[in-house]
Order: sequence, then structure tokens, then C-alpha cells
Amino acid sequence: MRVLLVEDEVRLADNLAAALRDGPGFAVDWAEDGQVGDDCAGNRCYDLIILDLMLPRLDGLSVLKRLRGRQDATPVLILTAKDGADSIIQLLNAGADDYLAKPFDLGELIARAKALIRRGKGAVHPTLTVGGLEVNTLEQTVRRDGALVDLSPTEYHILEYLMHRPRVIVSKRELLEHLYDYNWEHHSNVIEAHVSNLRKKLDGALPEPEPVIETMRGRGYRLAPELQLKPEPDLELSQ
Amino acid sequence: MRWFFRQRPTAFQPGSIAFRLIVAVLAVELVSSILVVGLSFGYERHSHFHAFDVLMHGHIDSILGAVQDADDSAKNLMLVQADLHLPRDDIYEVYDSNGRMLGRSSNWQGIPPNTPAPSQGPSMQLTVNGRPYRVLRFQGSRIIDVAEPGGGKLRQFTILYGAPTNHVWRAIRGAVEFYAAGSLVVLLITGPLIAWLLHRGLLPLRQLASLAAQVSVDSWQFSPPVSAHSTPELAPLTLALENVLHRLEQSFTQQRTFVSDAAHELKTAVAVIKSSLQLLDMKRRTAAEYQAGLERCLADSHRLEEIVAKMLTLAREENTSAAFGPRPASDLTECLDSAVAQLETFAALRDVKVEVAIAFSGVSLVPLIAEDCSLLLTNLILNALQHSPAETLVEIRLAQKGGNAELRIQDHGDGIDPAALPHVFDRFYRGDPARSRNTGGTGLGLAICKAIAERAGGSITIASQPDPALPNQGTTVTVHLPLASDAETGESALPSA
Repeated sequence: MRVLLVEDEVRLADNLAAALRDGPGFAVDWAEDGQVGDDCAGNRCYDLIILDLMLPRLDGLSVLKRLRGRQDATPVLILTAKDGADSIIQLLNAGADDYLAKPFDLGELIARAKALIRRGKGAVHPTLTVGGLEVNTLEQTVRRDGALVDLSPTEYHILEYLMHRPRVIVSKRELLEHLYDYNWEHHSNVIEAHVSNLRKKLDGALPEPEPVIETMRGRGYRLAPELQLKPEPDLELSQ
Repeated sequence: MRWFFRQRPTAFQPGSIAFRLIVAVLAVELVSSILVVGLSFGYERHSHFHAFDVLMHGHIDSILGAVQDADDSAKNLMLVQADLHLPRDDIYEVYDSNGRMLGRSSNWQGIPPNTPAPSQGPSMQLTVNGRPYRVLRFQGSRIIDVAEPGGGKLRQFTILYGAPTNHVWRAIRGAVEFYAAGSLVVLLITGPLIAWLLHRGLLPLRQLASLAAQVSVDSWQFSPPVSAHSTPELAPLTLALENVLHRLEQSFTQQRTFVSDAAHELKTAVAVIKSSLQLLDMKRRTAAEYQAGLERCLADSHRLEEIVAKMLTLAREENTSAAFGPRPASDLTECLDSAVAQLETFAALRDVKVEVAIAFSGVSLVPLIAEDCSLLLTNLILNALQHSPAETLVEIRLAQKGGNAELRIQDHGDGIDPAALPHVFDRFYRGDPARSRNTGGTGLGLAICKAIAERAGGSITIASQPDPALPNQGTTVTVHLPLASDAETGESALPSA
């Protein structure tokens, strides 16, 4: 998952980026002011935007309004040092999804970030299940038919991304955009190698494996075309 | 009239303007009523007695006509009373020039012997039969027996004529009573009328008061009614109120902004430290990582400390009430020298050359304590150094301009964005985030400089024209500080010397 962090305080941005990379393993892009933040958000490759309010050049509220003005539905978590319900009401009404008041707890920030990404993808539970495949996003563990599958961080992130979008063809470019930050040298063959390893690890544990990830040549990857897809129980409840 | 007492029971309390005005007006009315009654009494008495006297003179004339020749040998006179038709209660006496009484009214025994002589005045007061009388004394002369040979003879005689004054006094009293009663009625009518008029007349004042009462810390909206501005008595008050409220609101807004900004800065600084510590705690790390993390936390705490210290400095500098006591004085040239010396190492580290030119004829004493003076100078020079690229020059010029010292500090950096220029003296304002990141500014340095300069009665301005075509035009900060006059410095310079 790729997160855009718009925060002008360097040390805080450093810490947040480090925490988001170390903890849930997100790819983090950092924008130092509102204008850069707005430009970055225009790429629409983020799964979450963490936005400070008091920013140079363009304040957080304006960034948020521009974002929503473009019909961009990316979840937005606001960091604010302002007190008062008015400010919070204004923010939520302007399209913010959540807010955290400074000084905040890093653990809470990560939890909220995860929750917002999850909600943004339409999942309601931190454990994603497609057929016999189960991905626990909190522990970052993967089980196939109950058996634990050991994955590298990148393999896990690819799988988690695909798990959010079953039966949809996800291009390599999309995977690159959502798994790597701006500073990464983009090479699609990196993805190919990781998907190949991932497929081996997921299928290798079973005696008669059904292929979990299908490669659509020139178009991308698709998760579990043959897996018995059953709607998630929680989704049923929510409908 | 009860309606407004009920409506505003407090409007006519003792001590209120309306109450005092009503009392004053009623007192004036009372005094004028008394005067009117007094004057009317005098006038009525005069006119009634005048008419009374005219009437009596008429009667005297009748008596005069009744004096006849007695036809006796002595050529005496006599009074023929049978022809006289005088009011029943009136009294009279007629004497001839020899003092012989010619006749007297039947209801009178004459002037009692112990009363003063009737010749003392033309009129006198007598009490006859227990009633007050006014008696006129008339010296008459008449030619009697005109038909006689020789054309008759001029005869002198005296008539005393009196009439009771009861009814005159009654008439006077009636008239005075009428005026008094009229005044009382006027008083009774005008009292409430004035109260009502005052109530109406003071309406603009009440409106103003009620509108002013609505002003609070949360709602500064004060729109005085049109009447308040058009009333000459209220206009100055309204204007003063508006001005005070405007300044108060400004100051409140400023304070609120400052508190909000300060809270933001402090919370952010705390958030940095907290997140640094939590980041360190997220997973098990090596000793070197812990070491580096702790150093970062320490640096973050230093920054927080710096923000707090600068905020306190700013609060102290902006506290104008500290302007009492002896005026401080410090030598600007001396301060400049020490500030430059202090920052020499820093300048060398950044490879920036500092050039100082002092053109001063007299003593450069400015009304600042030495601590503030050097804070102002080091802040400004440090700022210039921080924004100077390597191998450039920071020029410092100190000169005398009339009664002011003019200090110009020019760097040859990138300059300041014109959009940011008006805000550089704002508290917590950071023109360029990238720049403040490099220099670790708190956004308070220039605000502190401004507060110091303004407290000394001086000013501080900044000029910059960044031009991509002409790089390194830089920024010029100009400070004007009033020079302490010789008379003042004479005593205050001694302790510092």
C-alpha cells in the first residue's frame, strides 16, 4: 500500500514515514508543503493520504477540497494541532475520513491508517479471505487451507493488494505504483520475479495445487479465478 | 404613566441621570412658581390698591363737593352729609385749615389719640371696629361761594377718608391663590411629562448601552444605532467605544492567533519527540540504532526548548508595561562589534564574509537594555548568515540619520518571495519551509526583533526583490532606533560605563 504524507515538519515526517514503512510496510511518499502534496495526490496512485493542516503554500483544508473536487475518493487522514469541534466538523464535512490530534500515538496512527485503507478497499475485517486463502493484515500472515505460508514482505504486499481486488486484472504498473514509493526505480521485471516466487510459495505447499494467481499476458495479474469464491460473511451482514 | 415605570423600573433610580434631571427641572419649576407667586402678589397688591385708592379719591371728591359755606358770620364751612352716598363701612373726617372738624362719618369716633399724627403720610393703616382700614389724607382746596361778590374765596381743608381693606386683600389672595394653584397644577403635569420625555430622549443612550452590553469576548459585533452617531452627546462616546472595541478585538484576535500558533508549534514539537520515541520502541533495535534514536530525541527536545525560550522572550519583549523605570541605554556600536565577534565562527563555517561599516559621529546610545540590543543584532546577523550562500558577503552599515541610528544588514542570498514578504515579521511565520528546515528556524526570530525595535520606539523594515535573472540580490533589513539624547544619556550612561 502506498501512502502520501503531507507534513511540513521534517522530523515528524521522518518519524511517520519510518513508522509506516517499518510497521505495516507501506510505501511512503513525503510532500513538504500543500502544493507539492496536491501535485502528488493528482497521480492517484495512493491508498491513503495523511495530511497535516497547517502547511506552507497551500493549507491542508485546501488540499483536501481540491482532492475531493477532482472526485478522488482516496481516504484522507488529517493530522491537526487545532482544538475545537468546529475545525473538526469543517474538516469532516470537507471530505476528510478521519483525524488525529497532535501529539498522537504512533500505534494509533498506524491502526487508523490500516483501517482507512481497508475501508477504502471495501473490506470490513482485517482478515481477508478468498476461497481457501486467508490473509491476516494485522499479523501480516498468510494461510492456505489453514497452513501457514511464509512470504517475503514484498510478496506479502503483492498478495494483500491482490486480495483486495479478487477477479480483477491488476496491471504490473498498478502494482508498482501501489507498492513502491516515488524514489524507487520502476522496473516491472521486479514485479514479475516477486509474483513468480509468490505463486510458487502459495501453490508449493499443496499436493494438487490450483493456481492462485493467473498471469494475463500483457495485461497483468488476476487473483483466484478458479478458487471457490464465496462472499465474505461480514459483507453479507453489511448489505 | 405607569407603563414605563413597569417597563423599566431601574430607569429612574436615585442617582440616575434621568432622576437627577427630573429633580433639577422640578426644583427649577418650584423656584419659578414661588417667584411667580411672589411677583403676582406684589403686582396684584399694587394694582388692587391703586384701584382702591382711585375709588377712594372718587369718594373724597364727593365729600369735597359736600363742603358748603356755613352762611354764618365767621364764614365757616360745613359738611352737608345728607347728600353724601358713600359705602356704608367707609369712614371719613373733614377738617378746615384751622383744624376744626367739619364733619365725620357716623360709624367712626375719629383717630384714637395715641396713634401717630395723620399728617405723617398720605395714607395710613387703622383698625376701626376691629377691621383693618386704609385711610387717605387729602389736602383739598376749593373756591366756595363763587356767586358771591369778589368771586368767592379759596378755602383749604383736609379730608381723611378710610375704607376697609378686607375685600382688597381677599381679592389679592384669590389672585395669588390662583397663580399658586396654577403653578402646582403645572408642576404636577410637567413632572411625569418630563419623566416621559426624558425616557424617550434617553432612548439612544439606552439603545447604545444595550448594544454595547451584547459585546463579549466571543462576539465583537458592535454596530451602534444611527441615533448614536447623529446625537452630538453620544457621538464621542460611540466613537470611543467603537475604537476601543476595535483595538480590543484586534488585540484579542492577535493573542488568540498567537496562542493557537504557539499551541500548534508546541504540539508539533511534542509530536516529534513522542513519535521519535514510539518509533524507537516499535521493534527491537540494535544498540547503535537506539543510540542514534536517543540523539535525535535529544535534538528534538532542544528544539522544543528553543521554541519555549523564544516564546518567553517574545512575550517579555511585547510586554509594554515594562517601559517604566529609568530608560535603559546601550551602545549600539559596542553591541554590533560584540555580535559580529560572536558570530565570526559561524560565518567562517558557512564561508560567508561579514563587512561592517560604522559611520557615526557621536555616541550611539539607543534606549535598549544591552541584552535586548545584542539579541536584536545577533538575530538579524544570524538570519542574514543563514540565508547567505557560500562565498558571499553580508554587509552591515550603521549610520546616523537625524536623531535615529540606521542599521542596514544586507545579505546576498536568494531573497524572499514577494508574497511572503509582508508576513516575515509574523509570529511563527516561515517563508520557505525548505529554508527553515535547513536552518532550523522557529519562526519567532524576526518577530522578536520587531518587538525589540518597536519597544525602543524604533522600526524595522525588510526589503527583497528576488529575481531569477539576477540571483543573489539578497535581502536588506533596515532598523531605525531613536538615539538617546545627551541630556538623558548623561546619567543613564554612567552606570553602564
